[in-house]
Amino acid sequence: MPRTTVAEKRLRKALDADENELKALLRDEFAGLEAEQRAELLQRLAKSAGSRKGGSPGLSARLFGVREVLRERLPICVVDERQPIGLAVEAILAIDERSFWINGWARDEEGGGKIAVVSPEGCRVELGERAFRYERSDVVQFYAGLGRAGDREHGFTAFFELPAASRLASGWVVELHAAGGAAVEVQCPPANTDPQTIRATILGELDNHGPLSGPLAAEHGRHALSRLQERIVGEAEIDSVDVYGEPPEAPEVSVIVPLYRRLDFLEHQLLHFSTDPELAEAELVYVLDSVEQREELASRARELFALYQLPFKVVNPTAGSGYAGANRHGVAVASGRKLLLLNSDVIPDRPGWLGEMCRFYDAGERIGALGAKLLYEDDSLQHAGLYFHRLPGTEVWENAHRFKGLHRSFPAAAVAQPVPAVTAACALVDRERYEEVGGMPLHYVQGDYEDSELCLRLADAGYENWYLPAAELYHLEGQSYLAEARRSLSDYNMWLHAELWGETITATMERFDPHVAAVAA
Amino acid sequence: MSDLRVLYVAHNHPTLHPGGAEAYALELYEAMRDEAGIEPVLLARIGSNVARRRVGHPGTPFSAVNGDPGQHFVFTETEHFDFFTLTSRDKALYSRHLTDFLLAHRPDVVHLQHTHFIGVDLLSQIRRVLPEAAIVYTLHEFLPICHRDGQMLRTSGDELCAEASPRRCNECFPELSPQAFFLRERFVKGHFANVDRFLAPSAQLMEKYVRWGIAEDRIEVEEYGRLAPAQRAGAPAQTRSPTNIGFFGQLSRFKGAEVMLDAMAMLEPETDAHLWLHGANLELQTEEFQEEFAARSAELRDRVTFRGPYDHDELPRLMEDLHWAIIPSIWWENSPLVIQEAFFHRRPIICSDVGGMAEKVRDGIDGIHFRAGDAWSLARTIERATGSARLWQKLRDGIREPYAMDDHVERLLELYTETIDSRKAVAVSA
Repeated sequence: MPRTTVAEKRLRKALDADENELKALLRDEFAGLEAEQRAELLQRLAKSAGSRKGGSPGLSARLFGVREVLRERLPICVVDERQPIGLAVEAILAIDERSFWINGWARDEEGGGKIAVVSPEGCRVELGERAFRYERSDVVQFYAGLGRAGDREHGFTAFFELPAASRLASGWVVELHAAGGAAVEVQCPPANTDPQTIRATILGELDNHGPLSGPLAAEHGRHALSRLQERIVGEAEIDSVDVYGEPPEAPEVSVIVPLYRRLDFLEHQLLHFSTDPELAEAELVYVLDSVEQREELASRARELFALYQLPFKVVNPTAGSGYAGANRHGVAVASGRKLLLLNSDVIPDRPGWLGEMCRFYDAGERIGALGAKLLYEDDSLQHAGLYFHRLPGTEVWENAHRFKGLHRSFPAAAVAQPVPAVTAACALVDRERYEEVGGMPLHYVQGDYEDSELCLRLADAGYENWYLPAAELYHLEGQSYLAEARRSLSDYNMWLHAELWGETITATMERFDPHVAAVAA
Repeated sequence: MSDLRVLYVAHNHPTLHPGGAEAYALELYEAMRDEAGIEPVLLARIGSNVARRRVGHPGTPFSAVNGDPGQHFVFTETEHFDFFTLTSRDKALYSRHLTDFLLAHRPDVVHLQHTHFIGVDLLSQIRRVLPEAAIVYTLHEFLPICHRDGQMLRTSGDELCAEASPRRCNECFPELSPQAFFLRERFVKGHFANVDRFLAPSAQLMEKYVRWGIAEDRIEVEEYGRLAPAQRAGAPAQTRSPTNIGFFGQLSRFKGAEVMLDAMAMLEPETDAHLWLHGANLELQTEEFQEEFAARSAELRDRVTFRGPYDHDELPRLMEDLHWAIIPSIWWENSPLVIQEAFFHRRPIICSDVGGMAEKVRDGIDGIHFRAGDAWSLARTIERATGSARLWQKLRDGIREPYAMDDHVERLLELYTETIDSRKAVAVSA
């Protein structure tokens, strides 16, 4: 009998060789091994082969073939109220090739059973104590006829990582090993790879098993959603940059505007920008985040450039990556020394706002982000600087807008002053400073707290964020990034923001009074 | 000095679509054509809602009109027009076709009568293509302010609305957000910023636009100038009792058709009054309205006679039988041309006491006001008016001759010159 290390080497070689050769080798040399040896061999093989470079669905398919020969199968679970063990898997979400999320339930009479997940390539991971367990009324009811009390937290949901990549949707198996030695397995439904479905499912789980500050978010949700964001951002590259007219070559400032679905805003902004000579001197960069509208945007952009003759660029990424991701593309294309981050639903009240902001920025000492006075359509204040508000009885800080809803002429909002943060719906920041702090964070799920974290990063690096009332623009808040599941999204983002920046925020708010204007020095 | 080239832009051509503003636009163009030193061009929009088939030729929206080298149609698809933002979705209309037209004619003055179905973008394009041209815009109604067909009537209860705002407009159209109304207003105003001079045919219209945001020094009242009719209607044969009242215009709710019929039904039995309806476009109203109208006029056949559409040339003959003209509109109106028509033929007017009607008809001097939308008030007014030959004669004597086209042309030419000069001054200082 060959020793497993030798066997492993031979098998690894055979993975690259002819498929028939591999089959013959497996049949002749390995099928007769003890179950334990086979399991160990399979695990090592899956780990090393799956993590090597140049992995492919083809290799995964071969590993699956190997797994099918080497893996000791358990009895298939039959869900029946008379059976002591029950197991079901409802979803496997492939966040990326190594990160996964699982939802299901497991029930064994004695309790304390162990759940293990086996990837199609043969990697086996025990969920163990890590899995988040919760009571499922449907399962409790199903077994109620037995009249036995005991562990009621049958549901499990968990983020888990594999030591090696998995690239196959089908072939996942989950095992349940009861304490008494009985064991079953189930075949899983195909792994879902769609980022939108994954995001919605995970947010739904967080929502169902709140509070958001609880263990599910901290131990599972946060890691899963960060990985998902990384994948979404990583998959979105700049595909092309369309240039309309001749933008200035060495602009002082680049105006970066993400576009998401509401393409009609482009026409409104171009009309109002075209009457402001300062905008013609700036570099105007639109980034299309709803990539499915590429053709439509190109045709509109051509027509509108012919009308307004204000030069601008349109960045077309390969995939949508959310607000922060779109801004990241915009910054990559921008050539200005300053960056003016702008939402597509912001319309200037009158020309001259950009010059006001640039001059104020240059005159200031170590300004981080400079925000503007933003107005609702009825001339009430939408933004006069941000501060943080602690939700009563929690450690969670909410972003709050100073003087929101008051009239635009409210005296305290007419004072230029440092503020804890400003909204990136309209914010000016020096490019070097922006890059020094790593720009906008990508770990939030679609546009809520990126801007305040950017400001906190800038403050952390020793810069001061300022509010400038002389620049007045309208912000039709919430018209551009309209997400489904908006509430759970923003709850999650709020929680993550406080988790990461709670201490800095606490210190900042000890020094800041949001209800009065700063006294002019 | 070379001739002054003036381009008139209208949203319809009266040969295809009858209407006050259209009729005036053509009259003005013709009057300017007769002036020495003026070279006018009329560009009238035509489209699928007024023409039976596409007028025009492949590759161009333009076509000539009736052999007059100064008149052109511009065809625009009604479906391309965004009735909310007042812009065409077909941007090539501006960037290509209208630009070509402007460059081919190079007018010194562009005087817009309307931008409906063409779009407010035209204003920015004129400024871009012809930086020196004077842009004059006569406002005929409230479409730029009010999404409800420019009526400025609230959608619930038809209450008169004096002021638009994103919140109020959203109340009228709950399916459209306040933000959408804000964008609409900013969009229209953004293009209106290119206009040098706005003209308001009535002071009440000017006042509403000033409240909306047009600076007072950019707008002035200039009444429609009219050509006096070749023939004036004589006094009615029977003057002992001034019983005959004539309505001219569209029979629609906004024009007060229901108020009029309700009032006729409320008259005291002994009242000797008869209403003659010279109404157009009944077929354009809702089916419900048409049925209701037919039923009501049948009930009132002793007091009300529907005489159908009329041709402008027939007016003297139709007026001949009438003592009074009536304008019972429930909306503000602008400066209804019927007032001038009636006054040319020296017929006093019974009208609503709001807006352009109250402004142009002087209560107790050349007409009588009743409370707008109030059938009871109108019934009492009709009883009083038809019962007194002395009152009728007094009001008839109070009528002044309407503002003449000659005077209007003279004022416009002055205004064109002023505007061109001030544009040059701006160009020099820049």
